[in-house]
Amino acid sequence: MTDLTTLTIAEAGALLARGALTSTALTEAFLSRIATIDGKLGSFVTLTAERARNAARQADMEISGGLYRGPLHGIPLALKDIYETEGVLTTGHSYLKADYVPAVDAETVRLLKAGGAVLLGKLATHEFANGAMTPDQPFPPARNPWNPKYQPGGSSSGSGAAIAAALCMGAMGSDTGGSIRNPAGFCGTAGIKPTYGLVSRCGIFPLSFSLDTAGPMAWTVEDNALMLEVLAGHDPNDQASAKAPKVAYGAAAHRSIKGLRIALARTWYEGGLSADMAKGMDEAVRVLRDQGATVDEVVFPDIRDYHICGRVIITTEAHAIHRQEVIETPEKFGYTTRRRFQLGAFISAEQYLSALRFRRKLTVDTRAAMRGYDLVMTANQWGPPEIFEEPQAIFHFLGKPSLTMPFNVTGQPALTVCCGYGSDGFPLAFQLAGRAFDEASVFAAGAAYERATPWRERRPTL
Amino acid sequence: MPPEKTPPTLDEFRAQAAATGLPLTAEDLELLHKGYVGLLELMKRIPSTWAWAAEPPQVFRADE
Repeated sequence: MTDLTTLTIAEAGALLARGALTSTALTEAFLSRIATIDGKLGSFVTLTAERARNAARQADMEISGGLYRGPLHGIPLALKDIYETEGVLTTGHSYLKADYVPAVDAETVRLLKAGGAVLLGKLATHEFANGAMTPDQPFPPARNPWNPKYQPGGSSSGSGAAIAAALCMGAMGSDTGGSIRNPAGFCGTAGIKPTYGLVSRCGIFPLSFSLDTAGPMAWTVEDNALMLEVLAGHDPNDQASAKAPKVAYGAAAHRSIKGLRIALARTWYEGGLSADMAKGMDEAVRVLRDQGATVDEVVFPDIRDYHICGRVIITTEAHAIHRQEVIETPEKFGYTTRRRFQLGAFISAEQYLSALRFRRKLTVDTRAAMRGYDLVMTANQWGPPEIFEEPQAIFHFLGKPSLTMPFNVTGQPALTVCCGYGSDGFPLAFQLAGRAFDEASVFAAGAAYERATPWRERRPTL
Repeated sequence: MPPEKTPPTLDEFRAQAAATGLPLTAEDLELLHKGYVGLLELMKRIPSTWAWAAEPPQVFRADE
């Protein structure tokens, strides 16, 4: 049999369902690989090996007894350490929560367990998902498996690193300004920020109520679709939760994209990409056209408008959430996190409300620009990841605008798809965004692209 | 959008910071001042004039 740890969720699920593979064997393969490899990456901050073994045994008993819970039954997954887990340390990668053991699972964790998933442990994150790694935190920051001298992106840093290194089959991330798509792009995995409101955030540490989304990351687009199938649904305990109809996302990933109309937001990235990324984007457009999609350049609002709109909202809300702690125990935050959370104290109510009003305008204008199109396509990242030993600037928003922020501002679903590798060996990636709650079209296009290209066959050497 | 015509000097910012209730070191103040001035510059892109009834979303919904 091939290496179990590089099977996709779809492949492993099919083998498990027909009794050709046990969850116990699969789980042991991942635990063994974590023990061997993860010392170089630091992707896991808490390993729950015995719980995972018990869950795997339970899955094997159920499946062999004829009870099959669905595509994640018996599948080893892991969680960004901002997801609350009953009886398991949940730190947010912060000294402030270094001893926090929740009594109840986050709603998404409950759904994963109900779907039969095997949870291997908790993954590194940027402190409270704020988007910066610094060494002054309770666990070492995760490293990029394609070259550990570089960062994996974030804030779902451990999720991206662990999936690419084949230390779990999928993981949960969260995305407020790009925190799923950023590490997905730099680690070469797929990852989706679902439509705002599609997936419950109840029991996940908040960063910005108006923008926070929870979502899956996995090696392939189809695997993301299978995970979202289990995760999507209304939760009355999340005020932003939508009552959207159930969709068979896994099936949608096999739809033809002939006739699909894609609006290319080239103006957002033109002239700013590395040479490798620019080439990767042009090639990705060609591949999607070859698959039968129409790709036209369309002018959207300026990328800087989305960037500052989202940044004002995040900065203000993150301050409100963490205000008491930055007043009473500022020394417990990391060097960068503390300053980012303090900055919101200087934003006035009028400035915050203007940003919210601007958000509505940008959402309406984006929808208007998309008229006649099913999807928006744009670059996922400007170039290669940052060097591990060079921490990000404290106020990173003063640099290039975020390519991921537009879809946090508009709430649209946005998927990261790997589109090759640069001359430096790092993955390249683009984004596909759909209309609100049309994750199905996003998955269809992303999966069609992956089937037409060889990029899923390459893994980092560790 | 920023109400100020010119960004605050470090001294003016220090006075503003005193009203926030935050315990800030001299290093915090310098870093935050730089970040705040940069943020104000970027915030010029946000319109300052809105119809009085332009209601922001209290709980944003992507399907509205």
